[in-house]
Amino acid sequence: MDAAPPRAKQRSGRWRLLPERGTVSLFELVLLAVCVALVAAPLPQYLQDVVIQTFLWAGLALAWNIAGGFAGLISFGHAAFFGIGAYTSSILAANYGLTPWIGLWIGGVLSTAFGAVLTLVCARLRGPFFILSTLAAAEVVRIAALNWATLTGGAEGFSILPIASIANMVFESKTTYAALMLGYFLLIYAITKTVEGSRYGYYLFAARDDEEAASAAGVNPLLARTGAMSLSAFLAGIGGSLFAQYFLFLDPTHVISPELSFQFALLPALGGLGTAIGPVLGSFVITPLSEMLRSYFGGAAAGLHLAIYGGVLVVVMLYIPSGIAGALQRLAEHRRKGTP
Amino acid sequence: MTTVGQLVFSGMLIGGIYALMSIGLTLIFGVLRIVNFAHGEFLMIAMYGAWAMTRYLGLNPYYSIVAIVPAMFLFGVVVHRLIVMPALDKPHLVVVFATMGLSILMQNVALMVLSADLQDVPPILGGRSFTFGPFYAKPELLIGFAVAVACTLGLRFMLQATYLGKAIRATVQDGEAAQLMGVPVPRIFLITFAAGSALVGLSACVMMPLFSVFPTVGLNFVLIAFVIVVLGGMGSIEGALLGGICIGIVQSLSSYYIAPAFGQMFFFMLFLLVMIFRPAGLLGRKGEATLGIND
Repeated sequence: MDAAPPRAKQRSGRWRLLPERGTVSLFELVLLAVCVALVAAPLPQYLQDVVIQTFLWAGLALAWNIAGGFAGLISFGHAAFFGIGAYTSSILAANYGLTPWIGLWIGGVLSTAFGAVLTLVCARLRGPFFILSTLAAAEVVRIAALNWATLTGGAEGFSILPIASIANMVFESKTTYAALMLGYFLLIYAITKTVEGSRYGYYLFAARDDEEAASAAGVNPLLARTGAMSLSAFLAGIGGSLFAQYFLFLDPTHVISPELSFQFALLPALGGLGTAIGPVLGSFVITPLSEMLRSYFGGAAAGLHLAIYGGVLVVVMLYIPSGIAGALQRLAEHRRKGTP
Repeated sequence: MTTVGQLVFSGMLIGGIYALMSIGLTLIFGVLRIVNFAHGEFLMIAMYGAWAMTRYLGLNPYYSIVAIVPAMFLFGVVVHRLIVMPALDKPHLVVVFATMGLSILMQNVALMVLSADLQDVPPILGGRSFTFGPFYAKPELLIGFAVAVACTLGLRFMLQATYLGKAIRATVQDGEAAQLMGVPVPRIFLITFAAGSALVGLSACVMMPLFSVFPTVGLNFVLIAFVIVVLGGMGSIEGALLGGICIGIVQSLSSYYIAPAFGQMFFFMLFLLVMIFRPAGLLGRKGEATLGIND
């Protein structure tokens, strides 16, 4: 439904900065090496915390991008999927002693069901109407979680017992969490790349860019879209469980808030919508930046990091709508033209 | 029976105020076909403006309308020039995210400058109540409702009878044809956006005696405003009034009979039901929500 974000032009045999569809570039390998090094490096605790959050948000932004970027289903309700995942695994562990390693899949399945139903009932809606419906659906989930106190602990929140063990999925060392989040992020990156290069991915792009032409060519747009939203919801739900296991505390105002939903959408939008690398770059730039601004100015100027965030978003959207990935791409092409 | 009547009556009054808050959003959506995600923050700064005039100048919020409405009109002009206009010819995502960025920016600047404390103005009319037969109502609510109805009628008259109104309607029907007939479409967009912002200023002054203001107050109200605009049929002014009244009554009844916290949930569910079964809203034109006008 929206104009396709600019993609790398196919020029085989030339030096490229950004990966193309269905291939792996040097840039990605370097990034992977950096990520592994960040996990292994003996960083101070607060930096490890930044690394963990960056990986988690890279994964979540990628999950959002499958629906929002690839299928054009701009959702401002992903916090609902995240929250359903987080609460499901935590409640199953606390009340039934089920290990979060299994609970997180169940949370993912519940999120998927919610995402699929939402996409099907909102099948006819486009543009702002779809966006507002996802926002409203997430609000329904938030208010339900807030008031179903016997199950979720309501506004007082829900704590996970901090007893470190592999079965509890609670760890003492931040390095283990960093490795876990890196695994989550890499899994979603691999899924994203697979979808991007697959026939299904092309169905999604076709349905997004011109629904009528896509259906004339034999693509079922509704089926393609529902699949994308389900996959996106599933991965966001798993991210929610991992978040719960790291922070060990959940409350609806933070886990299912509209602000969280906006965060899901903003990272890919800043990084480069509809590309595989865009949401990753978005998280790698924005998450550490906002964490550092928060820690430097935290007490003195509450809200400064978000104010900067908002300002940057306005400027990026108006002047570089293809995001960080698009800007890097242009830079790379410019440099290549410069050298003989 | 009296309880139900009283609940419906106060729900209707509060709904009128919700409608007033949504008229600006409706007008902007109806003409420019964009959703301004910073609408709630426009309301927030206007409420702070009205609060500051009471606090520092001793003016009652109803008098501060004289200053707040023109100030918000100018603010609307600036935002339109800097953010909305450059985004209009780009995919609709751009304007969604740009106004969203503006909303985050304004919210957090307010948090830095004004702190997260709740601010309110002292009761103006001594907290008295008026009685209508078996029902009673706060005078502030009655004033708000009256202003909402007056605004709806005034706007409708303006759209029907004045040259500007006709130019706006022509732009809505067919922007290109209107442009060819000599309607300055870009200026119509500017005036509409600024007028929508001025209406937010008006509703902020009317709401200040009833609600507290704090940096994130916009989020609470903007969600209600979105629901009302959609329920009324995106872009329909009378629809917004009707939608607002429906929301007010639903909220008032469900808060009393079920639980206050569920009041909000019911109108979000009502919103989803309307989206699923009647996407054009109560008074909107059929097919509007599914045409993808803004794509």
